[in-house]
Amino acid sequence: MAERTRFTLNGAAVEIAAAPGERLSRVLRERLGARDVKVGCEAGDCGACTVLLDGAPVCACLVPAQRAQGRRVETLSGLVAQDPRARALAESFQDFAAAQCGFCTPGMMVAATALLRETPAPDEARVQEALAGVLCRCTGYRKIVAAVMAAGRRAGRRRAAEGGVGTAIRRIDGAAKVEGREAFGDDIAPPGTLEIRLVRSPHAHAAFTFGDLETFAARPGIEAVLTARDIPGLNRFGVIPAFADQPVFAERLARFRGEAVAAIVAAPEALRALAAEDFPVTWQELPAVQGLAEATAPGAPQLHEGRPGNLLCEGLVQCGDAPAALAAADVVVEGVFETSFVEHACIEPEAGFARIDGEGRLEVHACTQAPMMDREALARILSWPVERIRIRPTAVGGGFGTKLDLSVQPFLALAAIRTGRPVRLAYSRAESMQSTTKRHPARIHLTVGAARDGRLRGFDFTGDFDTGAHASWGPTVADRVPVHASGPYRVADYRARTRAIHTHAPPAGAFRGFGVPQAAFAQECLFDELAAKLGMDALEFRLLNALDEGAATVCGQVFERGVGIRACLEALRPGWAAECAAAEDFNAGGGRRRRGVGLAAGWYGCGNTSQSGPSTIRAGLRADGALVLHQGAVDIGQGANTVIAQIFAQALGVPLSALTLVGPDTDLTPDAGKTSASRQTFVSGNAARLAGEALRARILRLANAGPGARLIAGGGRLGVLDNGKTHEINPARLPADSEGYVLRAEKSWDPPTRALDENGQGAPYAQYGYGAQLAVVEVDMALGTTRVLRMAAAHDVGRAINPLLAEGQVEGGIAQGLGMALMEEYVPGRSENLHDYLIPTAGDVPPVEVMIIEEPDPLGPYGAKGLGEHALVPTAAALANAIAAATGVRPRRLPITPARLRALIRAAEK
Amino acid sequence: MYNFEIERPGTIEEAVAALAAEEAQALGGGQTLIPTLKARLAAPAKLVSLSGIAELKGLRREGDRLVIGSGTTHAEVAREAAEAYPALAALAGGIGDPAVRNRGTIGGSLANNDPSACYPAAVLASGATVITSTREIAADDFFQGMFTTALDDGEIITSVSFPVPQAASYQKFEQPASRFALVGVFVAKFADGVRVAVTGASEDGVFRWSEAEAALSEDFSADAISGLSVSPEGMIGDLHGTPEYRAHLVKVLTGRAVAAA
Ligand SMILES: Cc1cc2nc3c(=O)[nH]c(=O)nc-3n(C[C@H](O)[C@H](O)[C@H](O)COP(=O)(O)OP(=O)(O)OC[C@H]3O[C@@H](n4cnc5c(N)ncnc54)[C@H](O)[C@@H]3O)c2cc1C
Ligand code: FES
Ligand code: FES
Repeated sequence: MAERTRFTLNGAAVEIAAAPGERLSRVLRERLGARDVKVGCEAGDCGACTVLLDGAPVCACLVPAQRAQGRRVETLSGLVAQDPRARALAESFQDFAAAQCGFCTPGMMVAATALLRETPAPDEARVQEALAGVLCRCTGYRKIVAAVMAAGRRAGRRRAAEGGVGTAIRRIDGAAKVEGREAFGDDIAPPGTLEIRLVRSPHAHAAFTFGDLETFAARPGIEAVLTARDIPGLNRFGVIPAFADQPVFAERLARFRGEAVAAIVAAPEALRALAAEDFPVTWQELPAVQGLAEATAPGAPQLHEGRPGNLLCEGLVQCGDAPAALAAADVVVEGVFETSFVEHACIEPEAGFARIDGEGRLEVHACTQAPMMDREALARILSWPVERIRIRPTAVGGGFGTKLDLSVQPFLALAAIRTGRPVRLAYSRAESMQSTTKRHPARIHLTVGAARDGRLRGFDFTGDFDTGAHASWGPTVADRVPVHASGPYRVADYRARTRAIHTHAPPAGAFRGFGVPQAAFAQECLFDELAAKLGMDALEFRLLNALDEGAATVCGQVFERGVGIRACLEALRPGWAAECAAAEDFNAGGGRRRRGVGLAAGWYGCGNTSQSGPSTIRAGLRADGALVLHQGAVDIGQGANTVIAQIFAQALGVPLSALTLVGPDTDLTPDAGKTSASRQTFVSGNAARLAGEALRARILRLANAGPGARLIAGGGRLGVLDNGKTHEINPARLPADSEGYVLRAEKSWDPPTRALDENGQGAPYAQYGYGAQLAVVEVDMALGTTRVLRMAAAHDVGRAINPLLAEGQVEGGIAQGLGMALMEEYVPGRSENLHDYLIPTAGDVPPVEVMIIEEPDPLGPYGAKGLGEHALVPTAAALANAIAAATGVRPRRLPITPARLRALIRAAEK
Repeated sequence: MYNFEIERPGTIEEAVAALAAEEAQALGGGQTLIPTLKARLAAPAKLVSLSGIAELKGLRREGDRLVIGSGTTHAEVAREAAEAYPALAALAGGIGDPAVRNRGTIGGSLANNDPSACYPAAVLASGATVITSTREIAADDFFQGMFTTALDDGEIITSVSFPVPQAASYQKFEQPASRFALVGVFVAKFADGVRVAVTGASEDGVFRWSEAEAALSEDFSADAISGLSVSPEGMIGDLHGTPEYRAHLVKVLTGRAVAAA
């Protein structure tokens, strides 16, 4: 029976009746309101739940609440309020932009506070060790480590909260993140809210039948049982409507391990009393296809009707005559490259809350990257008009592409409507890993030729991409890869063919780069081999062939301005020469460790491929004098909240602090499109610039002022200073519209693109971002382990709206690229947790020298380009090239695990 | 069901009495037990928390031996064994991360006998004695294959008594995230010979590599084992490494442990 447990929480005595065996993390969050304690795994792996127990950091998820009896528990919010070290950390985390999405931040700061109490001025190694148990997926850790060191020393650069375009200001949403006030997907629901548990397929492919659902549903505490039969509309969704094929609940047949077949809605205690075996379902396992070879073999089980050969779709770009050019080339290299499923591993598992409001409308609060798409998809599933659905995105604890697809939303919607009561759902780590999208595994066959003088002659690429059980973003990958597979180079004779192929695996979807990093791995590795065969320096070879302004891409698109790849490569030149020489010296000493230096470049088209993808931003002056920015672009940690506001404020001509911000909400903000394809700074940024300019023009007109006039905003007043005279505008005296606005402006912007013809010729993107990276590694030849010593990264962002946040994108992208290169491999049923599925920890990410290159883009807002994705396009390739340089063997399969690398070294030794 | 009661006895006798109940299980630091409860692999009705028993805590010297209470956390061993048995302290300091080290105990680690846990290698290589609520068990008899030990139902480990070697080192090839050993080798050199224990590698759990022991007892140098080979037969093969790779690591790490000892 529930006994009373007493302890102190952040200094206050508390007493609770914890259920037997209840975790401290749950008690803190659900009974004591400490939602600043986050839960990412409930297995001791992620450290998001770190609290101090009698001063020592522990994972609250591994402490039964009763064990806190008589002890001292401290969480982030208490520490920040009471401990000057935590307060210093809160400032420092903001100055370094050490919190991106902020989901790991409570765990990081709690662990760091314990460290600073013990060691006031720790060195880097000490900090890395103290934070080793807390995972971050966004930042690449370097800024976190630096922030902790600076906080300890009370040093470090202070960053202002105010500044226009080009200024490295603090995130405008940073304070909430470092004080534990940010509300993520699972932080909205009040305690005691009904919960949903999903019944999922234990098999990759299985037929199933339900037993007596009615009797089951009649159990005490169970409010509803939902299956495909309970879907009023279409039991299908998908991010690309023409390919929508994913059921909310599988019908008769489950096509991947973890696919949902039913949902149980019940009070929390009732759900906890339920065992998985209690649910009446019988499974019949069926033969499953895993991997591209099995899926394309003759006679393979077929996943979807109308997709023979398990082929979802194909892509093609060609120009010139690749086979003929290759036949005529002086030097030709060829290789087959393979990559694995990569899991996004957002530290926040998908979660949300839904309710029916007073007017009978559905309100869904969930972590998402695409609120408008969610609303449309739910409308189809529910057969409801979109107007009856309101999506209120919560803070997003990492997205990276996976939160573009629906996850918890349809279950929340169906359960809220069925029960008429508020409901919540948070995926467990295992569920999140089993059922949400992954990066596509690729099998790429590439042949590249060159003339004796080093110029590329012929490029023939075929790539198969494992898109899993459902389409998701498979067609986008199939389309994007052929456009990008050349890399940022001039290739006159080019052919790239892709196929997206179904297997009985979780759907592969969008993951930073949409297949481009996989293609870059093949292309950039072969470029190194080609350069070596030609006897050319790898950097010179790339520079010789680099794309230029005025030169056509493989799609025949010509950019007259803003092609920054040459500048990126040039920026690496000094480091390249010095690091190569240093590695040579090191290796001359002999020994079992060998160093190598590698290079790779990449590019990334910002926005949708040859498709309209507008953003709309609304702004206005309210009667109470507030200047309001309605900004519907979801910030998933990358900084859209800050960057778009900076652009808008600059265009309007007021300081940021003069703005009142209204964040994403389908009722309040117009459609700013999805947060993907590196489009928010570029596309929503442009809409924000236009809206700012338009509102400014209206204000100036009101004051009869010239374009050079200055706005003086704040404190409910608005003044216009023109020619030394201030014209006061009193908004309260102006007529207001139904929403209380006396002036408003709403602007849309859509990047100009042109459709691709049957050979993929056209203008797929209005701009590209460019990047080049250099990696220095040390390989232990006996163990096959790779230690990354340093990286340098030069990225052309057109114009860095906020250089601090741009750096953070690069560092975070590199950390993910490093994981993809060296350790990450998702295998259904085998790595469904964060100790078998390895992501980089604080000690795994090397120092990164970030060089921001600014080749202004004529279309970008203030010249800006997108950045999110090209940050990791070259990383795996640069690391693979460095490893090849160190070892003399050529890894062609990712991840390059120690076991795989050692096997290659061993084969070469024989 | 994820429902259990926690009893908090204050003495070993009370703990043993509490464990006599049907489906009762000892709870050490909970770092292994709590996550498995969630997964419903184990579902005891009653957990008997050992953390309130003072006699299970702490380290003490007994002649030339180091005795460590079973409830001593990894962090405490890392701190307090540094002088008496540096290789053991280093091993404890390399387990998991600070949060795990602040809660996890040596007794829990040994009772669990995870095939990739670190402590079993130290205990076996040291030829330590596991002292329980009823008897003393030599390390060679204690480990009986992965997740299996000589412990009877209701028997708890109270302490572990280590003879302190002249030289020792633990080398582990650690998994980046958890720091569990993909392979770990503990080498301990005593006046009367060398013991080598390997964790993480074998499907039978921690084991002694007797050929290496013989060779190293003759000549305590990395070269002494260069002619030996480890068979991949019976080695673990998983996502992180093939049996061949693990066999290879056993030899490389043994050499490095000898060099570092
Ligand atoms: C993220 C993470 C990383 C880790 N990394 C490592 C690592 O690098 N190396 C490593 O070796 N381990 C690692 N571990 C495991 C860790 O060391 C555990 O603490 C340890 O294995 C179990 O100890 P415990 O005290 O927590 O035991 P518990 O989880 O409480 O118990 C484990 C088992 O032992 C039994 N038990 C506990 N105490 C006793 C006793 N005195 N007598 C008899 N039976 C008892 C319990 O009934 C249970 O069956 C890691 C764990 C986590 C969560
Ligand atoms: S939630 Fe506790 S460690 Fe992940
Ligand atoms: S900022 Fe660390 S997980 Fe997002």
